[in-house]
Order: sequence, then structure tokens, then C-alpha cells
Amino acid sequence: MKKLLKGALVALLLSIPVLGWSQTQIVLWDFLSGGDGVRWKVIVDGFNASQSQYQVVGTTLTWGDPFYAKVHVGVVAGETPDVMTYHLSHFPVGIKGGDLRPITDAELKTVGLAIKDFNPALTKVSLDISKTFGKAGVLYGVPLDTHTSILYINKDLFKQAGLLAADGSIAPISGIEQFTAALQKLKALGVMPFTYSASGDPATVWRLFYTLYSQMGGGFVANGKISLGQLDTIGKKTLQLIADWTTQGLAPNNIAYADSIALFSSGKAAIMFNGNWEVPTMVDLKASNKLGFDYGLMAFPKLFGSQATWADSHNIAIPNNSKTPISAAKLKGVLTFIAYVEKNADKWAGGGHLPAYLPVLNGPVLKTLSPVNQYAAQAAKDVYLEPVNPAFGVGDPAYAAVDNFLTPAITGSASVADGIAGFKDAIQSAQ
Amino acid sequence: METRIKRRRYQHWKTALLLLLPFTVVYVLFLLYPTGRVLYLSFTDSDIAGVGNFIGGDNYIKLIGDKLFWASLWHTIYFILLTVVPNTAVGLLIAMLLDKMKRFRSFAQVLFFLPYILPVSVVTQIWLWVLNTNYGIYNFLLQNHINWFKSVPTAMPAVALVTIWWTVGFNVLLFIAGLKAIPREMYEAAALDGVDKGFRVFRYITWPLLWPVTSLVLLLQLIAQWQIFNQVYLLTNGGPFNKTIVVLQYMYVQAFQNGHGGYASTISIALFVIILITSLIQLKFLSLKGNS
Repeated sequence: MKKLLKGALVALLLSIPVLGWSQTQIVLWDFLSGGDGVRWKVIVDGFNASQSQYQVVGTTLTWGDPFYAKVHVGVVAGETPDVMTYHLSHFPVGIKGGDLRPITDAELKTVGLAIKDFNPALTKVSLDISKTFGKAGVLYGVPLDTHTSILYINKDLFKQAGLLAADGSIAPISGIEQFTAALQKLKALGVMPFTYSASGDPATVWRLFYTLYSQMGGGFVANGKISLGQLDTIGKKTLQLIADWTTQGLAPNNIAYADSIALFSSGKAAIMFNGNWEVPTMVDLKASNKLGFDYGLMAFPKLFGSQATWADSHNIAIPNNSKTPISAAKLKGVLTFIAYVEKNADKWAGGGHLPAYLPVLNGPVLKTLSPVNQYAAQAAKDVYLEPVNPAFGVGDPAYAAVDNFLTPAITGSASVADGIAGFKDAIQSAQ
Repeated sequence: METRIKRRRYQHWKTALLLLLPFTVVYVLFLLYPTGRVLYLSFTDSDIAGVGNFIGGDNYIKLIGDKLFWASLWHTIYFILLTVVPNTAVGLLIAMLLDKMKRFRSFAQVLFFLPYILPVSVVTQIWLWVLNTNYGIYNFLLQNHINWFKSVPTAMPAVALVTIWWTVGFNVLLFIAGLKAIPREMYEAAALDGVDKGFRVFRYITWPLLWPVTSLVLLLQLIAQWQIFNQVYLLTNGGPFNKTIVVLQYMYVQAFQNGHGGYASTISIALFVIILITSLIQLKFLSLKGNS
């Protein structure tokens, strides 16, 4: 027995240096849970299996401000991961706070990537943010995807309401009158025409508000400075429109995220407004025969002057560790990992996201990837990213302000005028 | 001889110090040092990671003119008014009913205590369902669509209701112990003297003899409710229209959403001073009354 233990100990001691020497460990932090988390893990595992030089070890943390607060504290304390996921919409805060290490085009070239390989709609904004808040000409993170809001359609109900084209596809919708008429027809069937979540979910309310507000030509930033004047005109009109949907029974009053999905997937709502990340939910329900109807997907339609649709982008970024900057060996590993992820982004697209890496976005896999191909081409064009200002973006003050002031107005607890006034004050005071 | 005593005394001291050391280290490291650090940060313009410049009393001047801080202070006081006395009264009432129960007493005690052992996130989730606008049982019974946590008049009372439901079990426990401690002879003597009507027994025997427990419950309640954060954060997030934002939540917003660690520290120090003063006043007031 003693001998056996001794032998085991020797074997253990021998194996430690072997593991340590042969592989460089790369620590990864992400905020990807649910279906996104599953797909992300497949890619990370794929990378680890594809080579033996690096080993990526991931930790999933809470999405939103807890994640970004932890990263910032980590950067200051010198306790960061080597690589992390990061929202493009949080770049202004991240760069200002010194949390992100710039990545040059030359560094990208060492692993066969280049800035021009990525969706220009994303890199243009990213480079603009770099110029405004940091160093011009560099990226503070490599874009992985665009994620956006789309419409989930119950095609059976659409058929009953006469909203399908002759070939059985969803007839294009254009203009608010046509959209409202469609909602009325659906209401006549005795179902909820349109559903989105509001209760405890400022993100979804913000995405809907921002999309409609932007389509009407509203903006938040002018000449690099915050400019909220249009909220009093276009903002009020937008908020009134959404509030009217509630009062007219065209949308439910104050339902939670999961309830909205349940309402749609049980066939009680005809259209769901949600992020493309719920596509796998529908795919899975359909595959297991739990969806009692035929569903379709469409990019958010053009209801006003433009087809701008809220979007954000997951990026892969390197923390700017203030005490021990990333070593050359680790940097090489991180860049190798990023290149692998980008080139395998078709796996990520299974989660409904639009890859940022052009060879994948325009490649053959995505064209045939159902049901993502139902909206991908249009949605990639409509990308309308968050206002470039530290008040906006994931985990930033605008979300809290939406919950505090806009949601009560659309649920009928306060007036639209009060809602906009309070929202304006909150954004202004967060400057 | 003398040196031996001295040495022995020294030995005693050494043992005492050794025994005190672990607690002292933990206390200094995790309580005194952070408190001192927060005090220092309150004079800086630090971000959330504590990096910033010394700016003197600027934060305190800003605090005095900060409308939202005063609003959050008022909301906290409003919440205290809605919970401290009601929670104590409900606790006392339930305890007295339980005390009268002949059968199933332990079972009933467990029922009332059960919510207290739940984590706050579970409690708030239960109530978000119960008071759900569209599918909640309350609105189903009332046949309407009240947004309990989203409309100004109902939001804070709803948070208070949830808090009372959640924490009253602990007060019940203290009151039951207090009631048990009142000698039965008192009641028997009173009955002999002709005081046997319910309210008069309560007024002249139960209430005065229970007062030490009541004042303790009130004090614990007051300290706990000054620190209200979790329920508001999880149920209303300070909305609608900042009408339920409380001091600690405002501190959280400043620290973690707006990245103003220094100013958030100033808010903490202000709350610390307020709690200290009110606790001292209450302690003095209640114990004086208890002695009379």
C-alpha cells in the first residue's frame, strides 16, 4: 500500500512539470450564459483540442454591470484574466477607465487577421470610439458578432390574418400604418398581436425605444457631444407610440422576459420582439415538436424614415492589467485563440448572432444556416449601434434610467411627458 | 517573589493576547481598516477601484445639495415608517395568538418562521410572481392589472409588505420568548384582583412586562430597515421615477453604475452617522421608558 502511494506521488510530481511546461494557460472571463454559453464552450473546447501549446480556461460571470465592475477592479488591482468578452457599447467607459489594451493591426496580422476583415459597420464605430476616448487607429477589442433585435413571427396566425404572401412567406411590412393595420388584424383573431418584455427588463424596452426613435431620425449625440433636444419631440412621439400599443391591447402590459417568450411559444402572441439570441430556443422547441405552429423570423421592418435597428457587438478584448502587462508569449496565445474563434464563428452564428468576420459572414455556411439566413443579410445592413457616450451601453446609466422613467410611462403608471423629462435628466446627470 | 508574580502576570497577559489575537486581526482587517478606508475615500474623487485624488470636503458639499440623496433619505424614512412599527405590531399579534393556541402550536410557529429562512432573492421572486401584473394571484382575485412595483403609490408599500412577510417570523420568535418569560403568577394574581378582561390584562401586565423585548425588537428593526437595499434592488430597482430609491441603493448606483467610488463613500459615511445618531436616541429613549 505504502509503495503504491509512493508510486502515485512520484507519478503526480512528475506529471506537474510536464503539464506546466508544455502548455501556456490562458485565463478567459466571459458573461455568456444560456444557449450562448453552450456554443461558446464548444468553440473554446474546440480551440483547446485543436492545438497543444495553449490551454484556455474560462470562467463565466454575471452579465452587465457586475461583469464590468469586476473587470475594472481587476485591472487596477493587477488581477485580470488574459482575455475576455466585452460589449462594443461599453467601450467608451472601458477605454476611458483604462480597462482595455489596444490591439494593433500589426498584432492582428501575426495571426492572419486584419481590421479590414471585419464588418465595416462595426469597425467604423469601434475606430471612432478609439479616436474619441483612446488612441486612434487601433481596436480595443476584436469584434466577434453583431447581435440585434428581430421579430419572431407565428406564421399560422399570420396566415389566418391574411398576412402571408402567396408563396407562404411573410409579406414584407413597411411603414407604421401597415404595421399597425397588421397588429389590428391579429388582434381580431383574439391573440396578443405583439409581445416584448418590460418588467425588470430595461434592456428590451431600450432596444425597442432606440430602434423606433432612430428610425424616426432621433439621436443622442451630435458632434461628439451629448444632445438630448430631440427627446422632447421625437422621443415623446416614440414613447407615446409604444404606450398606445399597451393601452390599445396590441401589446401586453409589463410582462417579464420569460413570460414574453412563453406567450409567443405557446401560440398566444403573433409577433415577438426579442434579440436574435432566442433563435436557438425556437429551433430547439421546433425540433422537439413542442412548438404548435410554424414560425418565421424577420429583420425589424422599416416603420419610419430609415431601417435603423438597435444592435450591439460582442468583442474579444485584452484587459489592460496595470501591474503586470500581458507577456509576449501570452499575447501570442490570446491572438491565436482570437483567430481561431473568428474563423469558427459559424458555430457562434448557430446562436442567431451575425459573425463580424467577413469571410464567415459572407461564406457558404451562413447562407444555408437556417433559420438565421431568414434575417441575416438584412439585419447586418440595418446595424445601428448604441450612442457613443459613456451613459449608454450594457451596464451603463441609460439602462437604469429606462427602467426608472420610460417603462412606467409605457405601462400607464406615469405620463409620457414625465417619462421623457425624467429620462432626459437622468442621462444628463450621468455625464 | 515579586518577579515571579510579575512573570506569572506576564504569562497571563501573553495567553490573553494570544487568545484575543485571531479576533483582533479579523476585526482590524475586515472592519476597522475598511471603515477607515471608506472615510478616506469619501474625501477623494475615486472611481470604483479606489483610484483618485484627494479633493477635501467637495463630496460633502455636493451631498448637501444633492436632491436625489435627500429624496433617497426620505424614501428610506418612509420605508421605516411603513415597516418598523407595523412589523413589530404584527409580530406581537402573531406571538400572542400562537401563545393562546392549544393544538398545532409548533406547527403554526414553523409556518410563521419559514419565510425568514429564505434568501432575499427567493422571497422577492415569490412576490414578483404573486403580485405579477398579468398573471399574479392578487390581480387575478382583484380582477385588475395593477403594476404593484411599477406605479408610484403602490411601489413602496408593496416593498414594505414583502419585507414584513419575510422578516416577521424573527420578531414572533422574540415575542414568544418574551411572553414565556412573564411569570404565570402575575396573571393569576391579576385574575384574583378582578383584572381578567383581555385588553386590561394586556394593557397592565403583558405590555409593561414585555416592554424590554418590544424595545429590543424596535431597535433591531430600526437598524435593519435603515440598511434597506436588497428588496428595493430586486423588486423595483429604485423606480418608478426614483420614488423607491433608498440611501444604500443610491450609494450602489453611484459606485457601481456611475463609477463614483469617492462620492459613494461619502453617502455611506452620511448613512453611518445617521444610523448611529438614531440608534443612540432610540436606545436612550426606550431604555428610560423601560425603567420607569
